[in-house]
Amino acid sequence: MQLRIERRMVPHIPWGLIICVLAVCLLGIWNLASASRPPLAPVWSSQALYLGLGMVAVLVVCLVDYRWIQRMALPIYAANILALIALRFFGHTAKGAESWFIIGPFRLQPAEFMKIGVVLMLAKVYHDDFRPNEPSYGLMRLWKPVLVFGVPFVLVLVQPDLGTALMIGLTSLTVILFGKVRWYLVATLVAGVLAGAIIIWNDYIREVPEPRPTIVRHHLKKHQSQRISGWLDPEADLRGSGYHAAQSKIAVGSGGVSGKGWREGTQTGLRFLPEQHTDFIFSVWAEEHGFVMCVLLLLLYGAIFIFGLGVGFNARDRFGAFVAVGVVAMLFWQVFENIGMVIGLLPVTGITLPLMSYGGSSMMSVMLSVGLLVNISMRRHMF
Amino acid sequence: MTPPTLGNTTPGRELKRRFLWLGLAMSLGLVMLSIQLYRLQITRGDEYAAKSVANFVKEVRLRADRGVIKDARGTILVDSRPSFDAFITPAFCTDCFEQVIPRLAELLQWDADQRKKVEDTVRMGRRNAPFQPVPVRVDLTRDEYDRLAARRDILDGVEVAPVPHRFYRTNTVLSHVLGYMNEITQEELERLNADGGRYALGDYIGRRGLERYFEQRLRGQDGVRKEVVNARGQTIEELNVKLGDNAVVPPVAGSNLVLSIDMRLQEEAERAFPGATGAVVAIDVNTGFIKALVSRPGFDPNLLTGRVTPAQMALLSRDPLEPMVNRVAAEHYSPGSTFKVVTQLAAYKSGSFRPETMVSCPGGYRLGARTWRCHKDSGHGLMDGYNAMKTSCDTWFYKVADTIGLDPIGEMGKALGLGAPTGINVVAEVPGIMPTSAYHDKASPGGYTKGMALNSAIGQGDNNVTPLQLALVYAAIANGGTLYKPQMVQRLENLDGQVIEEFKPEVVRRVDIPRAHRDAVVEGLVKVAQEPGGTAYRARMAGISDKSMKVAAKTGTAQVARLGTVRLKTHQMSYFERDHAWFAGFAPADKPELAIVVLNEHGGHGGSDAAPTAMAVIQKYFDLKKQDATAPPPRPNQPYTPSVSRRAPSADEAALTRGVLPPAQLPGDEEDDTRATAD
Repeated sequence: MQLRIERRMVPHIPWGLIICVLAVCLLGIWNLASASRPPLAPVWSSQALYLGLGMVAVLVVCLVDYRWIQRMALPIYAANILALIALRFFGHTAKGAESWFIIGPFRLQPAEFMKIGVVLMLAKVYHDDFRPNEPSYGLMRLWKPVLVFGVPFVLVLVQPDLGTALMIGLTSLTVILFGKVRWYLVATLVAGVLAGAIIIWNDYIREVPEPRPTIVRHHLKKHQSQRISGWLDPEADLRGSGYHAAQSKIAVGSGGVSGKGWREGTQTGLRFLPEQHTDFIFSVWAEEHGFVMCVLLLLLYGAIFIFGLGVGFNARDRFGAFVAVGVVAMLFWQVFENIGMVIGLLPVTGITLPLMSYGGSSMMSVMLSVGLLVNISMRRHMF
Repeated sequence: MTPPTLGNTTPGRELKRRFLWLGLAMSLGLVMLSIQLYRLQITRGDEYAAKSVANFVKEVRLRADRGVIKDARGTILVDSRPSFDAFITPAFCTDCFEQVIPRLAELLQWDADQRKKVEDTVRMGRRNAPFQPVPVRVDLTRDEYDRLAARRDILDGVEVAPVPHRFYRTNTVLSHVLGYMNEITQEELERLNADGGRYALGDYIGRRGLERYFEQRLRGQDGVRKEVVNARGQTIEELNVKLGDNAVVPPVAGSNLVLSIDMRLQEEAERAFPGATGAVVAIDVNTGFIKALVSRPGFDPNLLTGRVTPAQMALLSRDPLEPMVNRVAAEHYSPGSTFKVVTQLAAYKSGSFRPETMVSCPGGYRLGARTWRCHKDSGHGLMDGYNAMKTSCDTWFYKVADTIGLDPIGEMGKALGLGAPTGINVVAEVPGIMPTSAYHDKASPGGYTKGMALNSAIGQGDNNVTPLQLALVYAAIANGGTLYKPQMVQRLENLDGQVIEEFKPEVVRRVDIPRAHRDAVVEGLVKVAQEPGGTAYRARMAGISDKSMKVAAKTGTAQVARLGTVRLKTHQMSYFERDHAWFAGFAPADKPELAIVVLNEHGGHGGSDAAPTAMAVIQKYFDLKKQDATAPPPRPNQPYTPSVSRRAPSADEAALTRGVLPPAQLPGDEEDDTRATAD
């Protein structure tokens, strides 16, 4: 374990990635200052503190050679699993889910760190399991990756934290697909997506007289079912399940081309959106800064993804490449799902927008991931 | 550290290709997001901008002041006073059903029904409009207000706010005319708003009388103030500048009503009227405007407008004296002898009778096998038309009915407005019954017989009139045959006292009454009041100081129960079987101004129990006229303060005392007993 930065690493520091990340973070703090305008507590200052802590985390992660992290992947993964199990006994319940540890003044959400654990473990599996003459994975060979993400997936799902479980699932799926699977598995996946679409169409959209012959709907819990119908038609139940989706669309849409101006957003200022500084932070941005700045933000995120993938592209070994893919996939799915739900493309799930949403755990996990990317990039030529 | 093998250290070329695909896929995802953003922000941006404005602008209704009701001289009879109402805002009412409502119930002494009603409304409000305060108690007493204020800390979501409350300064006086108000029902709301009204649930709406009839005029137009609210419905004052200039549309106050009723005359009528039940109506014979109107027992509109309890409501509706019925127009009675003017006019018009026509009264009239009794068993002897009126000799009128039949009498009655609504509109009315042979052929078993004509001729039988109709008949006779539409609102004024609409006298029809006939009838009526032996002579002499003024009058005692073979004294009969005492007349006889009808229900005799009231009102009317000619007009818009010494008995009191009401007998008064025996 070496805690130092050598001279030859310096040229490989991914400055583009770091600048983009910092830019998004600063925009995020500026945006939070608007979302938490008086009389709300000025949470942007604590967010700045978290950002500082996050940068320290990046630095710490950079100092460690990632091959040491590779060796520690299993213990890290196991510790996270243990934390999730401990949550069942010592967790703090809020908003119907048992997702938090209370440690002094902090509330820690282990599921956030679980994501990184899963990414590391998957990368280790794919690194160790490499067979040059058998490039694609069949069903039998997939048991290890599936087990790696299946256990935390189930543990998070029963909290219940559907959103984070979904993120773990999608991230792992991306990594597994990246690791190449047999064509029939891809075909099965496509068929599955199609089947899901047909089920949703049949259960929620198709115009049929009641009682509707449903396939899955009657197995879902009421709030889950309402999320889907609220996504498909938010205006149908404005005061209930559709409230978030509808108000969020109004906030985004009313921003227009150039927005209403910083701290001028009415939807934000009058607090029509609960969770506006966490899950729905993008609606604040969209309302106050308009389409042009939204696209700019998307471009920044896009740059982060591309730079991140670039790190993987140039990585020294399979572990580095798979970690980079996993981290970028994790960030991408969060951005995609969060913005998608804010603008009414996807159902509402409790996913934060990386680097923009207020929250220490979220910020910390994203910064740790970025640290991993920087680490991998810096050590691309080390042997 | 083991030397790394080539295979698992450097990512192969195929892995690099996958990175390109992955980057492409992610870019595609971001492009999808951008497209949706474009659709929301550019394509439908205006639509969402409008929605976001609608989100935070709340329109607060500014209630228009309801118009006041004033008497003829501008004294305010009905206006609004501030009252304190208790509200619950469901959204802020935590532990509403476990803590707050039980405490409120305790503090305000609700019974289980009231508590349940409040719980239901709060529950409904919580679902539909959680930030809309729900009134749970209107018009708190001082005591209740203090109790609530003292326990503020434990009553989350309860607030006490001043609200204008309709105030009927006259209490039970004129209650049937003024009406009252209460909460609009769901059906009314839908019906009125479909016709362009702008009512909201919880609004009060006029019931009965002027409040109902002039609802739209009194109500005015509500204004609107736009306010910025946040998602919790709380007003954000600082942001109101964003709304621009037309944020407030001021309300337009409702019109004020000016009545033709002079409260001083009304007070005198209230004071002088002795009965527990009955009616007094005084109208201007030359315009049809009502000057005073008593209907007793009344109700308290303040009670009905405020928090009437179900028990009180039941008491009102079950009361056998029917305090909710306006006895002036919405109830009809046998007119008794007061009807004889119509019979006499019909008799003269037929040509078979002249004022000098003599009929001998032996104490009854024989028709076929039966005898119709005159009220004086010993008989009046020979009577001409004048004296028949003066003494109220029934036999003379039996003879008329026997000679000319029912139909000429019925036609004369109908021409004078009997048997049909008067068209007053402002208050509910019944048409009364003016029988004719056609009516009896239809309504009576066996059809029309002569005996029915005899009954009708003296105002008995199926003959039924309202006091208002009777007053109009006497007014028409007084003014020479013009039947006016009765009115009691002179004009509508705006807030500054400018006239918006003036109501002119309206003629229903001119009845063809030859001058000679009219004068002959009036002469008979004058004898009733001015000559010794006339049934109203004593009351006139006692009641009116100006001996030179001639009063034309007729008293009546209408029989309610059928007579047995033995005549019972008043105190031997139960209250509801006693006779109605009537007085109808006008003054001065030579230049008529005021017609007045008094009905003392189950009150006894017309001369003793109705005439003194009428005389007192006439006296007061001319006193006031003299006084107003010299004194300057009073300042208008003074609130009315009751100075009636004789308080109208409340429903409870009336119920307790009715059985033992002493007949106010003037000793030695000669009485006309109009008794028709139908068997």
